[in-house]
Amino acid sequence: MTVINQEKCTGCGTCVPYCPLGAISVVSKKAVIDQTICPNCYVCVRNKVCPFDAIEKQEIDTFIGQFQHIISDPVETTEQTGVPGRGTEESKTNDVTGRVKKGEVGICIDMGRPGIGCRLRDVEKVAMAVTSAGLKLEGEDTTPLAMLMEDNSKGKIKEEYLDTNVLSIIIEGKCPMETFPEIIKALQKVEKEIDTVFSLGVMVRVDENGYSPILEQMEQLGLPKPYRGKINVGLGRPLITE
Amino acid sequence: MTHSLHRSGTLESLKGDYVWFMYQAKGINDTNIKEKAEEFIAAAELVGSENWGDVKTGPIVSYPKEYIKQNIGNKSRLRGVFTSRKQVTEFLSIIKQKNLGTSVVISGLLDEVLSACKEAGVTPHTINYSLGIWGKKELLPDDDILSITTMCGHHMISPNLVKKLVQDVKKGRITPEKAAWKLATFCPCGIFNQVRAEKLIDELKNKS
Ligand code: SF4
Ligand code: SF4
Repeated sequence: MTVINQEKCTGCGTCVPYCPLGAISVVSKKAVIDQTICPNCYVCVRNKVCPFDAIEKQEIDTFIGQFQHIISDPVETTEQTGVPGRGTEESKTNDVTGRVKKGEVGICIDMGRPGIGCRLRDVEKVAMAVTSAGLKLEGEDTTPLAMLMEDNSKGKIKEEYLDTNVLSIIIEGKCPMETFPEIIKALQKVEKEIDTVFSLGVMVRVDENGYSPILEQMEQLGLPKPYRGKINVGLGRPLITE
Repeated sequence: MTHSLHRSGTLESLKGDYVWFMYQAKGINDTNIKEKAEEFIAAAELVGSENWGDVKTGPIVSYPKEYIKQNIGNKSRLRGVFTSRKQVTEFLSIIKQKNLGTSVVISGLLDEVLSACKEAGVTPHTINYSLGIWGKKELLPDDDILSITTMCGHHMISPNLVKKLVQDVKKGRITPEKAAWKLATFCPCGIFNQVRAEKLIDELKNKS
């Protein structure tokens, strides 16, 4: 947990602009951290932004507190906690893992990105919408979100975690290419019901020219043509050709 | 993990922004990573990667290169940035020749990266397309700020910090180059493009 040592704090306000979520403010000449917003990303601590060394870490002793911190701080190592990183390697190693094969679509919904943060309540809304549209979510061995689920097949998160705020968390899964339009329709509906944003990634196998029929589906759905992406250039070995 | 996927900005500005990755998969091709990583770093440096790093240690804008290299282990993740398509093409040509067997990923404008692949003689295998931002977009900072903050995909860079630094540049307290470098130190992975950021900050200082 990130706290301000009230004795050391001079109220200078230097720390305020550094917090990505705007969780720090100066009240009655002392800095305070809104604990309902701060997910312990440790940007303020790691970068030593306080000239008086008044920002301190306190031990996090709950599972959900540790989860919230690990998912929000990319520097944190995850080995001791059992939280398996922050998500799958999606396209990055697909040339050797073959996680998403020809005819399939991998969906990566980066909840809270860019830089807004999100409550798990909104994550659940989106996860439930896409699972009922036919997306099969990744399990506990590949993605941390699954650890919070009461029912991963339905995208239902345990009630006690729903108010937790995180800097971002990824809903990941895959479906057959034919199901893609249903997923997009579900996202178009649920995006109006959440109090945050998400960034959407759609991952597919491509031919030697970098083409996939998913581009036609996107056009038919009225989605803007994607112009930016992450290309795995097929140099991993042994290469999966499926 | 899609922290390099959703970088925003104008097409012209994104033409100067590419992210490279070396990735190993557990139990498949995760041996001798230190040697392979050093080959990647050598290739990236040869073509002029302005920033790179290993999230386990940090980026070259914050730590000496030798220190980062010494700390590379089998779980390291190497990544960095290029500022031109030409660098991407040259890098891919070298890495193809080295035949190291780890996965290689380039994040950037699709037209540019796909033509770099063609020129370098490598075959795209998988693409993760960015379909942009959805939901309550009124919560977002403006596009100019997002073009800078999204270069740290883990969002370690606060929009308010960018605004403050732009004000400091306007007042002559800091140069755009130093402001961009400062922002780069907040991105632990080494994928923040301080060269592009400097240009963006310079443009922003002239806006009202
Ligand atoms: S920078 Fe330090 S001293 Fe100044 S307001 Fe923040 S916590 Fe207090
Ligand atoms: S830990 Fe992160 S969210 Fe919390 S106060 Fe510090 S910078 Fe802000």
